[in-house]
Amino acid sequence: MAAPPPPPALMDELIEEFLLRLPPEDPARLVRAALVCKPWGRLVSCPRFRRRYREHHRTPPLLGFVQAARGSNSTCLTHFVSTSSFRPPRAELSGWIAIHSCHGRVLCYPPPVKPPEKRLLVWNLVTGEQRELPRLPWYPYLGASWNAAVLCAYSVGAGCSNLDCHHGPFVVVFVGTLRDKTVVGVYSSVTDAWGEPTFTQDRHKQFCLLTGSLVGNALYFNKMMGTKLLKYDLTTREISAINLPAQAPKWQIVLMAMEDGRLGFATMQESKLCLWSREDGQDGDARWEQSRIIELDALLPVQALSTEPRIVGCADGVEDILLGTRAGNFSVVLKSRRAKEIGLRGPGFGSFVVPVTSFCTPALETANSGEGSGAGASSA
Amino acid sequence: MASAGSGDEKAAAAAMITLISSDNEKFEVTEATATLSQTIRHMIEDGCTDGGVPLPNVTSKILARVIEYCKKHATAAAGEEGSSSSFSDAAFLEVDRAFLEELEEFDDAFLEVDRATLFDLILAANYLDIKGLLNLTCQKVADSVKGKTPEQIREMYNIVNDLTPEEEAEIRRETQWAFE
Repeated sequence: MAAPPPPPALMDELIEEFLLRLPPEDPARLVRAALVCKPWGRLVSCPRFRRRYREHHRTPPLLGFVQAARGSNSTCLTHFVSTSSFRPPRAELSGWIAIHSCHGRVLCYPPPVKPPEKRLLVWNLVTGEQRELPRLPWYPYLGASWNAAVLCAYSVGAGCSNLDCHHGPFVVVFVGTLRDKTVVGVYSSVTDAWGEPTFTQDRHKQFCLLTGSLVGNALYFNKMMGTKLLKYDLTTREISAINLPAQAPKWQIVLMAMEDGRLGFATMQESKLCLWSREDGQDGDARWEQSRIIELDALLPVQALSTEPRIVGCADGVEDILLGTRAGNFSVVLKSRRAKEIGLRGPGFGSFVVPVTSFCTPALETANSGEGSGAGASSA
Repeated sequence: MASAGSGDEKAAAAAMITLISSDNEKFEVTEATATLSQTIRHMIEDGCTDGGVPLPNVTSKILARVIEYCKKHATAAAGEEGSSSSFSDAAFLEVDRAFLEELEEFDDAFLEVDRATLFDLILAANYLDIKGLLNLTCQKVADSVKGKTPEQIREMYNIVNDLTPEEEAEIRRETQWAFE
């Protein structure tokens, strides 16, 4: 029998269709495809394709988790644990603990939590760049309880409209207490300064250092043993309180942006993982529905349920929940209802882990500068 | 032909469409099957299907496969519409799941083809504008390059490398993490 005929040539348009379907959670696959030939490299690198790729996949994929561990000399070491094919230029940062992440940027603070100096650092996992922020203008008067989040300046919900997000501007939102008031300050990377703060008369106390959640154009922060969440509207700069459902436990509430773009949270009830989603309605009388209950005994090994697992992190938009258990850490992917073990060091080091999500579409300079270099490659 | 009938014959024939492959083979399909193709749907809406729809870009071998796909998926679409009210929620979910599983199995088996056929199917899905089939076939190609190096991808798809060694080295430097 003769050798099979070579596959027919695909038009550029159809090559684009297939490249578009390379999974974002395996970003190396797109990079390797870009290195196949010049036309593929150009295609993958062009803004039009990168925009389409984001629109097609919508939510930035989970690249991994950032977790604090004890380094040598008892210093704190924050390290990135990959769950994808993405590898950062450096995977460890000594002397800082992660608190929030957005599109590959990780916001960190130096331990211990208490001192009121509130230094903050933004570590860009994709570019490797680090930037320590100027001190908060009112730091001598701040209370001990606080939280903060880093956001790409173009992010709305889990999505992002900026193709050059990793090199683009970002903001950091800080929330804390200042004497008898709640204060929110916003740092902008463009001016490298903190803007005028927003105050409320209500004093929200005891912010829990759990990752805040961005839903739509508002950030939500959790409080210890609280019955309310704090909402900060990025557009109107207003601060408001959101009631939590009375039936939900007062602890172990981990906020997340649900896949459908609603605000939600995860909580544990014995061996069940319960998910709540916020229904429409005014902030003051927010209504919630228990949207899903996941029986963990079908997903986790028996030893993992010998004591109640702890929720140690939730990835916005992708609905990936990280559980710390006696038998290790498990990532529970809600969409596929599957759990897989994540190689974090120890059961959470008593702290929470921060999920890192981002698109990593290569914008190859070589491919772009190779414009007009002849007919290029083609399928035979 | 199809339009030349009268009475009952005509009514029955009205729901049937004749597709003609590039090698002049004729395929009779129901309108529900044919309209999975947006291209054909528009032709039907414009009333241009009398005497059959010539598809000069699709061979009979590929068209037969495309029709096989459309038949299965048209039945699935009809099934979904028809069954929703007659079951309780739980029963409906169960039926739904079995149905989806069956469809998935069909799709998997459908994709068991050589690369040349796969590419022909992509070209046909694109030309006929059948979203589900285009998605399925392109996803298959995307899955096939999993864990493959650029060299292996070039070999698989018969692509000439036009990057100079310097350019290739430069890109590898830019994106080193992807090759670890």
